[in-house]
Amino acid sequence: MEIRPEDDASAQERTALRVKGLKIPAIYYAVALLLVIGLLFSVGNPNFISVYNLNTIISYAALLLMVALGQMCAILVGGIDLSVGGVMSFVSVVFVKSVHAIGYWAYPLCILIGVLTGYVNGNILTRIRIPSFIATLGTGGILMSLAMLVAPVPVNVPASSWGILDIFNGSFLKISNVLYIGFFVFLLYHILMRFVIVGRNIFYVGSNIKMSWASGISVVKTRNFAFMMSGLGASMAGIMVSAIHFGSNPYVGAPYVLNSIASVVVGGTALTGGTGGVINTLFGTLIMSVLQNGMTVVGIDQYFQQSILGMMIIISVTLTFDRSKTPVIK
Amino acid sequence: MRNLNNMSMKETVITLRGITKIYPGVVALDSVDFAVYENEVVGLVGENGAGKSTLVKIMIGFEQSEAGTITSSTGEHITLKDPVTAIRYGIGMVFQDSSLVPNLSIMENLFLCHELGFQKFGFLSKRSMRDAARSVLEEVKIRVDVDTPISEVSPAVRQMVEIARLLWLSKLYKQKNPILILDEPTTVLNDSERETLFTILQDLKQQASVVLISHRLQEVVENSDRIVILRDGKNVTEMAASDASISETEQLMVGHTFSADRYREGDQTSPGEEVILKVQNLSKKRVFEPIDFTVRKGEIVSLVGLVGSGKEGVCKCITGQEKPDTGSIFLDGKKLSSGSPSNAVGAGVGHIPIDRRNEGLAAAMTVAENVNLLVLKSLRFAGLISPYLERKNAKRWIEECLIKTPSLTTMCANLSGGNQQKTVIAKWLSSHVKLLVLDHPTRGVDVGAKEEIYKLIRKLAKDGIGMVIMCDTLEEDIGLSNRMLVMKDGRLVKELDCPLNEKPSPSDIIDFIV
Repeated sequence: MEIRPEDDASAQERTALRVKGLKIPAIYYAVALLLVIGLLFSVGNPNFISVYNLNTIISYAALLLMVALGQMCAILVGGIDLSVGGVMSFVSVVFVKSVHAIGYWAYPLCILIGVLTGYVNGNILTRIRIPSFIATLGTGGILMSLAMLVAPVPVNVPASSWGILDIFNGSFLKISNVLYIGFFVFLLYHILMRFVIVGRNIFYVGSNIKMSWASGISVVKTRNFAFMMSGLGASMAGIMVSAIHFGSNPYVGAPYVLNSIASVVVGGTALTGGTGGVINTLFGTLIMSVLQNGMTVVGIDQYFQQSILGMMIIISVTLTFDRSKTPVIK
Repeated sequence: MRNLNNMSMKETVITLRGITKIYPGVVALDSVDFAVYENEVVGLVGENGAGKSTLVKIMIGFEQSEAGTITSSTGEHITLKDPVTAIRYGIGMVFQDSSLVPNLSIMENLFLCHELGFQKFGFLSKRSMRDAARSVLEEVKIRVDVDTPISEVSPAVRQMVEIARLLWLSKLYKQKNPILILDEPTTVLNDSERETLFTILQDLKQQASVVLISHRLQEVVENSDRIVILRDGKNVTEMAASDASISETEQLMVGHTFSADRYREGDQTSPGEEVILKVQNLSKKRVFEPIDFTVRKGEIVSLVGLVGSGKEGVCKCITGQEKPDTGSIFLDGKKLSSGSPSNAVGAGVGHIPIDRRNEGLAAAMTVAENVNLLVLKSLRFAGLISPYLERKNAKRWIEECLIKTPSLTTMCANLSGGNQQKTVIAKWLSSHVKLLVLDHPTRGVDVGAKEEIYKLIRKLAKDGIGMVIMCDTLEEDIGLSNRMLVMKDGRLVKELDCPLNEKPSPSDIIDFIV
């Protein structure tokens, strides 16, 4: 851990990069990075920008975006949500198992599971006072094993119920519904964080919890709400992953824990909370999705991909993370 | 001066010259000179914000100065880049709140990070550590089980362990005359422990120099050989302690140079009839005894007293941040539910905290976001926060409170201390508070910003806001307030009116405080 004295002048000096004294907001680095990566992959393999591949990227990005937007709420409020993988797995197998029996009711049921888990996570943090890292590690583990109990082997949606999945698998104006849904979820979180008081309170609490408390903001409600939004994101992703694959397995959510955190951070949201936002997360998610897809498309060795991804995370955060806003780096 | 002749007989151990330290918006030290001679106790005094802490932080390498030189006894220029370097030169500090590791034992704390000398066959020899610990502690005359964890011993013992550690370290680095800096060492001690401390310090003088910082002027005058006075980050004077009187030192600390209308007394208004705040039989165990008082519309009531007099506790209870044991608080005749900041804020109690960075601001958020925090509800259009209304409200209060900011979206962390403070004030003003608790509102802001904050406080009073205020200096208290409540040892001991042109003098009040 590096402790820096709270000295704004020097903090500003040390802010990542400056061009002729002009500070460039982190988000522009994220956009620039996305373009550069995209360009490199297109040169490496022209098929990268084919309609088919772009569709693949978009459906993965939409999934990751849902989890990442939720994760962002938990991170912005000053916590972290490691249960998103468990929620996603559990929801996705419950969706597959229940859709035949209860039809469209499977949607609200699954959303409810996610939001409820978030509520439990929030309360373990705010009332039992266990750090969110541990609390969500616990609930995530519980849900992961519940998912395995519900579906020990991969499960499929019976063909008779496929119509219910058309929400995701249909298309409008030749563009897959997944894109519209991703955009809708993005808009939902954007409005919430930007124009609704409870969303703004997430920033206040994450930025300075003591001040928020002394100013009369309900810290408990705000934190609970942030974790509920995280559960919501993960459950929507859980539904979607089942819908687009017509089935699921209990391991489907596991990779999304770290990928969602990486997306949030790569977009420039600080792990210490309070700074960042929905647009940051959108670009963070796009960078992560393009990277993962592009490496396969240009034929980088499967085993080597993880290390490139790791390096890219560090490089992107170097560019996008505004150190002047966080006095303590741990 | 006589004292200086006297001192020139002695050798200096360390000399600081022209030390300047600038924090954003504040010059903490302005070309300060400070020397420590061998075998002496030197008292460093000054008001809050005079620069004492900054100066000693530079001496122990905790902070680096922008300008100035540090010279060791051999005449060598030294750079103290961190506390580890400082201790190699024999300079160490006993912090106000102990810097020991609570869950390690006394012995482990004594030799922390310097255990290599106790190796035997590559392992730490507890026995030789124990022996060494005992003999080290003997020097400061304490007898304790060296295996006791630090968390289980009294503050007095902790202090001695810290002193012993510093002595041992300077021996390890072969420093003949180490410098021990004690920052407010007596606040945590009872009377007999205090006496023991000073007896030991007099003993230590034979082999070390001591820099003593204390707000209790009497103990500084009684126990030092020499007194150095700082004011507003500048040297005022130094004198032999035998020549110093408490009242004279006090005057030098405060200074006479400020203008007659420093606190804008001319703008002082007489309070309205209507009672805004009524505190009834309020008490909190071991913090303050039952207390009753009222604040009227537009009245500035100042709470004065030493640290530990209970005034902070009273304010915390009023703002709902702490729960009192007995009593009730009425705002505009309505009882506040105790221990709930949101209830207090909702009723119209505002709070300007002493530590604005950690308790008053979301430093990483914009000025506008900070100013609008409390009034977001009224800035909505069709249920959503309207960026237009947000800008409008922020602009209005930024102008009203004279906040100097490049833009509405500037991060608060990038403003100077004074402008950050004005942002906190703006936040509360925009929410139309009825009562404002101001906890050291001018702490850490420069002279110009102080002036503007005084102006704002006067304006608030004129607008009918009642205020409970705690200031950095007694003069500020007297200058600003309509009425003063003096607290001592948790009790309200005196109530004084401070009408315009008939202000009491600090010396009238100091007797009640101490």
